[in-house]
Amino acid sequence: MDLVDSYVNAVAKALPEEQRADIIGELSEDIRSEMDERQKELGRPLTPDEQEGLLKKRGNPWLLAARYRQDQRSVAFGRQIIGPVLYPFYVKVLTFNLGLTFLIVGGIFLALRLAGQNISVGDMVSTCTLQFFIQFSVVTLIFSLVEKHLTKHPDRWHIKGTGGKFRLDLNIERDFQVRMGQVGMGQARMGSQRREVSRFESVSVIVASAVALVWWSSVQSHPFLIFGPAAALFNLAPIWHQIYFPIVVLTDLEIVRAIINLVRPDWTQFRAIARVILQAGGLAVMWFAMKAKSWVTVADPAADGAGKYAQVAHIVNQCLLYVLVSAAIFSAAMIIFRITELIRRRRWDVEPRGVGSAAKEGN
Amino acid sequence: MTITTVRHTVYVVHYMTPGTDNHELFENLRLELRRGSLVLAVLAALRKEHYGYTLRKTLADRGMAIDEGTLYPLLRRLESHGLLVSEWREEEKRNKRFYRLSADGKEIFKQLMTEWQSISTSLNGML
Repeated sequence: MDLVDSYVNAVAKALPEEQRADIIGELSEDIRSEMDERQKELGRPLTPDEQEGLLKKRGNPWLLAARYRQDQRSVAFGRQIIGPVLYPFYVKVLTFNLGLTFLIVGGIFLALRLAGQNISVGDMVSTCTLQFFIQFSVVTLIFSLVEKHLTKHPDRWHIKGTGGKFRLDLNIERDFQVRMGQVGMGQARMGSQRREVSRFESVSVIVASAVALVWWSSVQSHPFLIFGPAAALFNLAPIWHQIYFPIVVLTDLEIVRAIINLVRPDWTQFRAIARVILQAGGLAVMWFAMKAKSWVTVADPAADGAGKYAQVAHIVNQCLLYVLVSAAIFSAAMIIFRITELIRRRRWDVEPRGVGSAAKEGN
Repeated sequence: MTITTVRHTVYVVHYMTPGTDNHELFENLRLELRRGSLVLAVLAALRKEHYGYTLRKTLADRGMAIDEGTLYPLLRRLESHGLLVSEWREEEKRNKRFYRLSADGKEIFKQLMTEWQSISTSLNGML
């Protein structure tokens, strides 16, 4: 697949099916005509960089596709939060998520019903309403953040070097502008190592952590939020209450860290150190949780069919053990990686500046 | 240098440089003015048959450059209103969509041109 195909495919995905073939045929022809003409002018084939340059001039494929669409619907709460460009993707994702969620919830209700549980219409309505609210809020939040990014940086996207796939550049870390001509190559090389924490990232972390905190606090008193209708049969083991406070503290600290980086995006070293400390804290909590060996218990061991539920709890506990072990290994690997990166940057920062000065003089 | 010259220079530097509100306002008004005349330009160019790319080149050569993201949706809209007809044909081993004015398009173009001339005459008298 060449770059033109990749670009055109990206446009196609954002077009209504009935118009797709027609628009794509015409667009593809227009791009190839332009490239042919440019090749004739240069007397040689275009390099991939030149091809990407021509495609970049045409703009973001999703924005281009939106101009063809008749459907200009958007999502607005007072002001527009998801525009016509992302609206079709938003509807697709939300529909898929809700469909899948309701299918799973329906399956759980059916299984409970077959197991002889009494399921009221009220249970079903409240579960579905809650799931709808969660999915709607999360999907809408994510899309509104992407919309904001797209509006602010419509030119941040790639085709080249992405395996033929269109990618929005959602890099949450943005290099400081390296003024090559003014600071020289050596300093520029050092400058390229200096980054700033994007506000997009900080705001995302604050929002996501706040949502997680609310959820975590609610789960303690309402196990329904994690077990759904099975909350009548299972309980959270005491370990979850023991690690409740440490997790709240770690999440609060992460929010504080993000707020500080929102005010001081240039404090990247602070973020790197804070991340290592918080991740180490998380690992300690995970270690403590792993030692419990039981995370889900049967609500009423004397009830009818309790043996069957104990078996289910055993399977769930086994799965949770694997999840916790995997998460702990991943977390430990991340800590090692971040410490290595910190040391590498530290060395870079204390490196003599002579190289940069010499390069500056040489310019 | 008079005080008026200084004021004028300050005004131009501070209020008419790119990035200022006035510059943005001018740009919006300019685009609005051009947008209104694009339909007429496209209809005029399509008195002769063209496919998309040559149409874009023709318009650009005549000082009416238009990006493809604006041109193609506009062509679709004009075709859906019955002002243009199009057909896919192979040329230079590639399938291209050729556009030209329909009978209705020719009629509307004549009327629009008369209107344009009338506006142009009126404006010239005022400017």
